[in-house]
Amino acid sequence: MSQPVQKGNYDHIIVKKPPIGDRIKRYGWFYLMFAPVVIVLFIFYYAPMYGISFAFYNYKPNGKEPEFVGLANFQKLFTDPTFWSSFKNTLIISTVNLILATVTSVVVALLLNEVQKAIVKKVMNTVLYLPHFLSWVVVASIFMLLLQPNGLLSNILYSLHVIDADALAQTDWLTQKKWWRFFFYVINRWKEIGWGTVIYIAALSGISLDYYEAAEIDGANRWQQTLNITLPSISNTILVVFILNLARVMNIFESVFVLYNSAVYSVADVIGTYTYRVGLKPTVGLPNYGYSTTIGIFKSIVSLILVMVTDEISKRVRGYGLV
Amino acid sequence: MKKNILTKAATVAVALLIVSGLSACGSSKNHVALTEDGKPESISVMATTILTENNGHAEFCAEYERLTGIKLSIEKPEHNQYYEKVGITFAAEEPADVIELGSTYYPSYAAEGVLWDMTDAWESSDLKASGIVNEKYVEGMRCDSEYAEDRIYGFPNQRGNGTVTYARKDWMDALGIDTPTSYEEFVDMLRAFKTIGDCDVVDSNGVSFKDKYKGQTVYPLTVSGLISTESPYEIYLREFYQDARPDFHYDEDQGKYVDGVLEPEMEAALVRIKDAWDEGLIDPQAVSNKTSTCRDKFQSGIVGCFNYWAGTWNRTLDKNLKQKDPTAEMIPLPSFDPEKEYYIERPAVAYVITNFCEHPEEVFENFILYSHDDGEGELLFTRGVEGVHYEVTERDADGNIVSAVALPTMADANTDFEKSFYDAALTITTYKDPIEVDERIVNSLAVFDEYSILYDMPIMDSTVAEQLPDVETAKQQLLTNIVIEKMSVEEALQTYSDATEKQREIILGVLNGSDE
Repeated sequence: MSQPVQKGNYDHIIVKKPPIGDRIKRYGWFYLMFAPVVIVLFIFYYAPMYGISFAFYNYKPNGKEPEFVGLANFQKLFTDPTFWSSFKNTLIISTVNLILATVTSVVVALLLNEVQKAIVKKVMNTVLYLPHFLSWVVVASIFMLLLQPNGLLSNILYSLHVIDADALAQTDWLTQKKWWRFFFYVINRWKEIGWGTVIYIAALSGISLDYYEAAEIDGANRWQQTLNITLPSISNTILVVFILNLARVMNIFESVFVLYNSAVYSVADVIGTYTYRVGLKPTVGLPNYGYSTTIGIFKSIVSLILVMVTDEISKRVRGYGLV
Repeated sequence: MKKNILTKAATVAVALLIVSGLSACGSSKNHVALTEDGKPESISVMATTILTENNGHAEFCAEYERLTGIKLSIEKPEHNQYYEKVGITFAAEEPADVIELGSTYYPSYAAEGVLWDMTDAWESSDLKASGIVNEKYVEGMRCDSEYAEDRIYGFPNQRGNGTVTYARKDWMDALGIDTPTSYEEFVDMLRAFKTIGDCDVVDSNGVSFKDKYKGQTVYPLTVSGLISTESPYEIYLREFYQDARPDFHYDEDQGKYVDGVLEPEMEAALVRIKDAWDEGLIDPQAVSNKTSTCRDKFQSGIVGCFNYWAGTWNRTLDKNLKQKDPTAEMIPLPSFDPEKEYYIERPAVAYVITNFCEHPEEVFENFILYSHDDGEGELLFTRGVEGVHYEVTERDADGNIVSAVALPTMADANTDFEKSFYDAALTITTYKDPIEVDERIVNSLAVFDEYSILYDMPIMDSTVAEQLPDVETAKQQLLTNIVIEKMSVEEALQTYSDATEKQREIILGVLNGSDE
């Protein structure tokens, strides 16, 4: 007597794959078309991973064989207070920046979504979007001018009697420890807010209007519609973007490099700038690529942990993750 | 099972890749044959402060080959990536025969033992015997490697040169100021410069300084960084640092190496800097200024004093300043206390021969020494190729060039060609340049020569080098703690001392042997 088959459960069914020869014969063209991708992936992404081994060597560009030092580079890294200071700064600056990026981009996308006139919407979108295409060097130059002594900000504050004449002439805002991060976040948002909104605007356009019509019939106002329809509908997008950006938080470099200076090292020096200064372009001696690789591995591990933790949180909160 | 095999295969593949990657490292020579007359058939060169490709690079190589019979191949990477490229060629074990290295990198590579020791070749050379080379600069290249001490691994391409303090002569005249003869007079001059925007005196165009600077911020003195990021750390603010040496150096009186930052001279220097900063005499953007920002400010006419390179830069700054304000004048200031407030001549940039060069003696003879021969070689390496870079205007009876004029560069018809490899005004030999040098270049170099001191090569040791980046960061913070965070000098020095205690102990331990 045969066992009754439970509806919807097909785990017991074993689908036997045809032999590999048959599959290649059958899907040969697909494999051929896929081959360049695999080759490129291997050559440019996997093969260079052998460089990870340099973390266990003193590897200087001196034409000599790298010297095996075991875990000495890791020991040096973990006992260097400057590194831990830069690690702390990286986490703080990147995390705050990421949260601000997510919140501001979503808010601006929601506001843009409310604009009725298409032309106004397009113009605003373009205006917000343009700074993204400026290089960080240009952005830094613009804001250095605005924030320099006797610059626009100082003059506004002086005219409002917030600062005195001495401060007007002397205050270089980007050299002030207590203000540097604030301006960094502002400058980052100014540059990237348009870019951040694009994805959310796309996600918003995919929400069915039926939901809103139904909500209106039920008497929901705009705010309630936003809270109960719009945000839940784009929450997946928000989470995906957040996790993707989270994986990159340790890579922050260029924006800090062009805006920081020696007066704010204690609050601005991130792992990227620390690596550049100490590992890649020291003012004395030859760079030790082994030490730079060690820092790179550490960054990758921290990024991986961050992504996995976020994914786990996603699984617990929403029932499913992304990785 | 299949998965397991695949995983194992992938692991083996990656392991093989790693092993092959590392085992590829070994030493090999750049194979070049010698000609019948004992010259190398070709020489490869990597350099950065040389003529560009669109300014007659090929013509230079052709002329060199015509004169010596040696094929020259020159690689000139982008200037801002130069040392990364040099590093890559060493890492790939394919460095050129001859490489240009600045005074920071030269002792670093020498210390690694990858440069050819040219001491004996130099000592026995005809050029040394001829006495035409100023040996001070060659001897200044002596340094230690992992194999030998106090040897010459690089030959100076020209003098190291250094910076002088330029001041606005038209401001000084308008304010009735003479050349300062003491620190107090120098500071008084800066104080007066601060008021140039209130000065009713008119310039030669009949415009008062008051009108000229109406609504503009003027800076008595600008500088990029209150302490340099590399040795010599005190090169720019010479009037303030004076005899302070904020690096690890040998102190004759104490008979041992010391950290100059913690010496009394440095404390006095910091007090001078702090006072001037608090009085608004130093550009408030000094901490974040780039060198180019300072140049731009000076050239736009709003800066009274600026310490910058002597020589060609005097002409460039003056030319650009006059474009903005034709009545503007600048002069190099003489030192007011040559015993203390001297200008610093940096160790020269070196041409080194790598251990990868197959015939180093022949390359030394036919490239490096030839370029300093006080004759056709030096003319080629300074002024370039006749008919391309310069034109002869007079020859003596023997056909030797008596005078010549520079031709416009191939890339820009409005600019005269200046140099192919070396600056003729900074030559280390008795070479007489047939092209008349601009008065401004001559003047600033004369002031610099009179008041400058040649610094030694920076100390290079791998243990020291490992510790220095943190010390350098602390040095930067020492200055910013004083001027931005408003710490007292004593407090800031204590903070520096605490932050660098471990590093100083290691560095001084190495430098002073077991004494520390």
